[in-house]
Amino acid sequence: MSRTAIPVSILYSTTGPYAALGRDAVDGAMAAIAEVNTDPASRFSIVATIDDPCGRAEDYAVLAESAIRERKCRHIIGTITSWSRKDVLPVVERHGALLWYAFPYEGFEASDSAIYLGACPNQHLLPLFDHVLPRFGRRAFTVGSNYIWGWEISRIARERMEASGGQVVSDRYVPLGSIEVDHLITEIRQKKPDFILSNLVGQSAAAFIAAYGDDRENATDAPPIVACNMSESDLEGLAPSARRGHLSTSIYFDRLETPENRAFKARMAERHGSGRRITTPFFSAYMAMSILTRAISDAGTDAPDAIRKVVTARSFDTPAGPIRIDRKTHHAALRPHLGLSDETGGFALVESAEDAIVADPFLVRAGIRADLPVVPAALKVVK
Amino acid sequence: MTHRTRPPLAQWHAVILHREHPLVDALRRQLELLQIRVTVSWPHLDEAQASADVVFFDADMGHDGQFPWPRGFAPMPIIALIGSEAPGRIEWALDQGSNAHLLKPIGSTGAYSALLIAAHAYQQVRAQADDIRVLEDRLRQRPIVVRAILHLLQNEGGGEAAAWKRLRSVAMDWGMTIEDAAEAICRNDKRTRSGA
Repeated sequence: MSRTAIPVSILYSTTGPYAALGRDAVDGAMAAIAEVNTDPASRFSIVATIDDPCGRAEDYAVLAESAIRERKCRHIIGTITSWSRKDVLPVVERHGALLWYAFPYEGFEASDSAIYLGACPNQHLLPLFDHVLPRFGRRAFTVGSNYIWGWEISRIARERMEASGGQVVSDRYVPLGSIEVDHLITEIRQKKPDFILSNLVGQSAAAFIAAYGDDRENATDAPPIVACNMSESDLEGLAPSARRGHLSTSIYFDRLETPENRAFKARMAERHGSGRRITTPFFSAYMAMSILTRAISDAGTDAPDAIRKVVTARSFDTPAGPIRIDRKTHHAALRPHLGLSDETGGFALVESAEDAIVADPFLVRAGIRADLPVVPAALKVVK
Repeated sequence: MTHRTRPPLAQWHAVILHREHPLVDALRRQLELLQIRVTVSWPHLDEAQASADVVFFDADMGHDGQFPWPRGFAPMPIIALIGSEAPGRIEWALDQGSNAHLLKPIGSTGAYSALLIAAHAYQQVRAQADDIRVLEDRLRQRPIVVRAILHLLQNEGGGEAAAWKRLRSVAMDWGMTIEDAAEAICRNDKRTRSGA
């Protein structure tokens, strides 16, 4: 019996300023495709094309357009930065296609033509601050990549800090892709913040963490770096001493001790060998593609209208647990975890939200709470 | 609805402050249809462009220091081009004094209504600012009215009612506000002297 071939575009930058994340994401998406394509029971196979915009924002829309018009793709799994997502959205909206976006972002968006599987601020920054502020203090140094992600997360952080009587002692930005970070290290040494919130992306994040690692070699009380987007991919190329001691919030860590994740890692070990750590970007793109393939199977078609209905009608099992996507916002309810990095570049789980948190992309329900419980009620220590 | 004068768009010069992007082409097409002369600039407006009749500016990637005037003091209507609805960006656009906005992506419509709304809003803001300045001046001059009445009581005799009558008549005769007349009286402006 011949199977229907369904074209899908995988749109991640595997070269350029945040290539490490893109390469892991492509591998994750391809792993999910391999699972459906080798499944004898599947009535379709995915024909993926990998488009590499090289981290240039203006190339994303061009590649998305040609995937949809020329290769008849009705689904695009892709984009990491908000800069690129914002350029792809008008294209998918115009053509009635669907964008599967699987990375943490700053919120304030809810396109009918996108499925948001990454966390937004009430699922990453606010739970992170609920943990960090009572433990480390209320003087933050924020640094981010110089575009909407860095700006907006820093703004929400400032609101949150000020609402709880804290302050942002400095708010700095670095051009996307820049590795000029020495001035930041000098300023951190002078200002002595309680913690550093890094909203840096890709090689800027790696350069900053590396330089900070060198600097704190001789310090006894160096404040931690905390982040909503730091993953194993960011730490991979760094010296062991620079990798340790950072707090990151994420919906997935390689060391998540659940039966679903153990099964997932065993399957991935068969494909990639047991030495490969499953990074958050790998998982994210895997999850997006895997939910898409199951939705196609349920709907019996890849027509975006039908997929949209199916995907918001039921929950999907994933290595991070069951995930449900809200019909109105198209955002996934997600269970954030807090990880502490060690010298291997992995994250040990520190805390996990008890349940999935429904996304509040416009922060209209969550608001910015002024109260600061000593032990946040929504989080429990993972034993 | 009151009649409003539409701006003479065919004589207008518009500047689009945005990096190279398909939306710039789409906006240029819309503006050129209206016979508006268009120039595109990025990342800064230069001094020569400060005489433009309208500026469209990128609210997503824009930053302070792109404009050759202090924040909020654009000498022409300005229109924000908004892609990200993040409140930080909207606040920034408002701080610039945005008079209207266009949402990205920009297709074949929207610019004309944005121009009319921005031109109107800009006029309103200007008129209100002028009114406020006038009212503030009048408020500032209030003590001068008291001083003028005292001056008239001392120098021209008569009661308080007569002094007020005199102040009003100076204002009426010379087409001045009460406050300006009071100031003239205190200065002993010869126009305000009896019989002058």
